Amino acid sequence: MIKLECASLKGFLECASFSVSDGNSCAVLAETDFEKNLLLRVLTGLTGLDSGKVFIFGREISSITYAELGEVRKKMGVVLNRGGLVSNLKVWENLMLPLAYHASLSYKDTEEKMMDVLNNLGYNDDLNMLPGPLPTYKKKLLGLARAILMEPDLIIYDSVFDGLSSDIRNRVLEAVNAFHEERKGRVSLFLATSDGSVKDIKADSVYVLKKGNFHERN
Amino acid sequence: MEMQKTKSPYTNYLHAIEYLYELFSLLFTAFRNLPFLKISPVRTVFFRQIYFAGIETFGKMVVIGILIGIVIITQIINLVGLGSAVLTGKILIWVVVRELGPLLAAIIIIARSVTAISAELGAMNVENEIENIEMMGIDPSRYLIMPRVFALTLSAVMLTFYFELAAIFGGITVTSIFWAVPFEQYAKGMLSSLSITELSVSLIKSLLFGMAIAAVSCSQGLKVRKSITQIPQAITRATIQSLFLVFIFDGIITFIFFV
Repeated sequence: MIKLECASLKGFLECASFSVSDGNSCAVLAETDFEKNLLLRVLTGLTGLDSGKVFIFGREISSITYAELGEVRKKMGVVLNRGGLVSNLKVWENLMLPLAYHASLSYKDTEEKMMDVLNNLGYNDDLNMLPGPLPTYKKKLLGLARAILMEPDLIIYDSVFDGLSSDIRNRVLEAVNAFHEERKGRVSLFLATSDGSVKDIKADSVYVLKKGNFHERN
Repeated sequence: MEMQKTKSPYTNYLHAIEYLYELFSLLFTAFRNLPFLKISPVRTVFFRQIYFAGIETFGKMVVIGILIGIVIITQIINLVGLGSAVLTGKILIWVVVRELGPLLAAIIIIARSVTAISAELGAMNVENEIENIEMMGIDPSRYLIMPRVFALTLSAVMLTFYFELAAIFGGITVTSIFWAVPFEQYAKGMLSSLSITELSVSLIKSLLFGMAIAAVSCSQGLKVRKSITQIPQAITRATIQSLFLVFIFDGIITFIFFV
């Protein structure tokens, strides 16, 4: 489902390759936040490679049109470490945005689905406020809820367990594992910079991104 | 020996042409994306912008319109006297509908909406929110730009219309109250000079001004990269460039229709 083939990007990747098959979960540990963010940008098609190929769902994302890339992104969920919420939309608008944009569900169905996901995550704060004043862990929970709502085939977690209390971390971990197992063939990719960030996750493979290459860890 | 690079005198012209092409492309993309207004979140952005740029500005626009109408009619009566009500009405219509209506409405929109749009998009860029939207498979030109372009253009047309109505109403009221000139005399002069040309010019101007203002403010907002200090710079550039384009379009349209 994800495949990097001899990917090169000046100062970052040197003919690096790695792949994650359908149904697997994988962790990639980068040395710095910068490298981790750049890898996320490469995987989501925001940054192009100097050479090499990136395949997502079997499509080489640098050779497809912007509209086709949008279709690929629609099937991907990205949970960013600071939530990635839009500051001028209220919390509920943020959660509903991708679903209301891509799916043709009624408002009532979308709202029911949203409330179910939020209840599972134990989020019970005001949904009518703007996300600005919320603490980072709540933004992260909302980012996770937004991604889960889209039921993507591939979900990328960007340092999602950092800065969480053990109680919330366990809750998030449970939700992440349940979401992975919910659909056969779903891929979960965890990006982090330290072992501690991914210590409890059930990863089928762990890669370390070092000196421009991915090294699989046993 | 290293050759000193000299700037070609045509560089500025080339940059200006390049920038105009960029604005034109932004507008063209907005037109192409118009069918996506049927998507609920896009429509929400559109209505929100109509509210901010149009409805919230309406009250101020009407008050300024009435005051401008009073000022103009006072000056006209000082110039031509009370004898020719038809001429006075005609001048009021010409000044307000042909020139000041679209121009002043555009200036008020620039003061209010250009700053808001360029600052908002700039801040979203600094916070990576536009990229986050892209990551969700949402095209920012459909979700962020197109609704702003059309909402601002529609607001410019509507606000110009209300501004002109308020200015004419203000002028008539003042002359009726302070100079005791019968309303019918002015109405006659105004109706005789209010032709399709006057109305078309006003509509064309407000449409073009609205599109130019929207394109400049969106373009400058999107140009902000990773530094918060670029936001006030983008606002200043957007304001000055919008004003500049509005005056250029005003001159061109006036020249085409009335020279």
